Amino acid sequence: MSGSTTSVPDCNWLLWLTVTLLLCLITGCGPAKVVVEGEFPAPTMMKLPLTLGVWYDQDFVTHEFFEEAKSRTESSWLVTTGQAQVEMWDTLLNGMFERVLPLTSKPGPGQLIPSVDAVLIPEVAELQYAIPAHTNVKVYEIWIRYRFQLITPGGDPIADWTMSAYGKTPTAFLQSDQEAVNLAAVMALRDAGANFANSFTRVPAVHAWLQQVAGNKQEASL
Amino acid sequence: MHSVIRTLLTGFALSLLALASGCVTSTVDQMVFNEPTEGIGNATVVILGRRHASDYDTEPEFIECVGEHIASGDRSIEVIGELEFVNQFYPWFEPRTAPLQIADLERLMQKQPVVSEKLATLKTQYMIWIDGSTEDTDSTGSLTCAIGPGGGGCFGFGTWGSDANYEATIWDFTENAEVGKISTQASGQSYMPAVVIPIPIIAPVQGTACDGIGDQLLQFLSSEY
Repeated sequence: MSGSTTSVPDCNWLLWLTVTLLLCLITGCGPAKVVVEGEFPAPTMMKLPLTLGVWYDQDFVTHEFFEEAKSRTESSWLVTTGQAQVEMWDTLLNGMFERVLPLTSKPGPGQLIPSVDAVLIPEVAELQYAIPAHTNVKVYEIWIRYRFQLITPGGDPIADWTMSAYGKTPTAFLQSDQEAVNLAAVMALRDAGANFANSFTRVPAVHAWLQQVAGNKQEASL
Repeated sequence: MHSVIRTLLTGFALSLLALASGCVTSTVDQMVFNEPTEGIGNATVVILGRRHASDYDTEPEFIECVGEHIASGDRSIEVIGELEFVNQFYPWFEPRTAPLQIADLERLMQKQPVVSEKLATLKTQYMIWIDGSTEDTDSTGSLTCAIGPGGGGCFGFGTWGSDANYEATIWDFTENAEVGKISTQASGQSYMPAVVIPIPIIAPVQGTACDGIGDQLLQFLSSEY
């Protein structure tokens, strides 16, 4: 009677180690991700007696910016601002106007949207940033340029204007890089809200339209 | 014998503690009118930082420090937190929109009556604006750290200076006027000697400025000082 046995060494631990190392390498090489989250208070102001439709484009809802690492010592950044943008603009517009209707489809010419006075379409036209590698201080800065279109319920243009917003990390005290980027983005969004609330009625084309709407409402009430 | 050693050790420890913070010199100037001699009663105070300059921001932690200094000095004074106030009055006290003069605030209250209603609800009698910052100045020296299989350590010496400049402006809502200005300047030198372990000897420049401005504001607002 003869036989032979071959013993196979238990290589499970080696496999796990390799997988873990690979995962570490993959995550180490990936960009630092920040999903912007913050506190966006409702504005304390007299509401404009208007019903405003608002349309957020897909690019706006999923807005993010990517900064590629320039050297081995730097890390890449992927900052997602879309969700925070929508949250901030929803809160702001609901506090600025008597009624706000979020639209489910993109408004266009020849398409009548009932029961709104106008439709606002915000868009992030440009975004610039300065990170500590550029500025040598642990303060992140973000500039956003918005483009706004205000159109009639029938899709005709009322006003088309741009507006800028700026935010920087308010303090470098005990902040991680992710927290600092998030804070700078939140400050930029708050500034965007403040600028819009302060300047909306002063945009010449908007101002003229508001006077026209007020005149029409006065005539209708007589 | 033991008591002598204990006394010596305590003395040595106290000397080390005294040495562990660098020296700071500070000056405080003030000019105030219409001081509330009876205190501010059940009215509230808000302290806000100026953040409209392009090259510096008044640090939120400095504003918090001054607020805590006043509230702990006289428990009857209610100081509204900066972030809480700014959120309640959004968007009127953001860096872009904050009123620079009391006349700007009056105009805002006429244009947006909800702002004056909210201020009345909070019983805010004094709004204190603090403008300034603490900056590190000249730094010299060098510090080298190394780590190896047998351990690690640092060797060298570094030193840097810090300057704090702040000015507080007091607005009184009962008078609708600016009723005072308090300014403080503090400067100090920090050291970091390292023989194996770095020992930071930090000059509490911002803390000294906070105490200086906080004490003067307490004298203005409190009937106990």
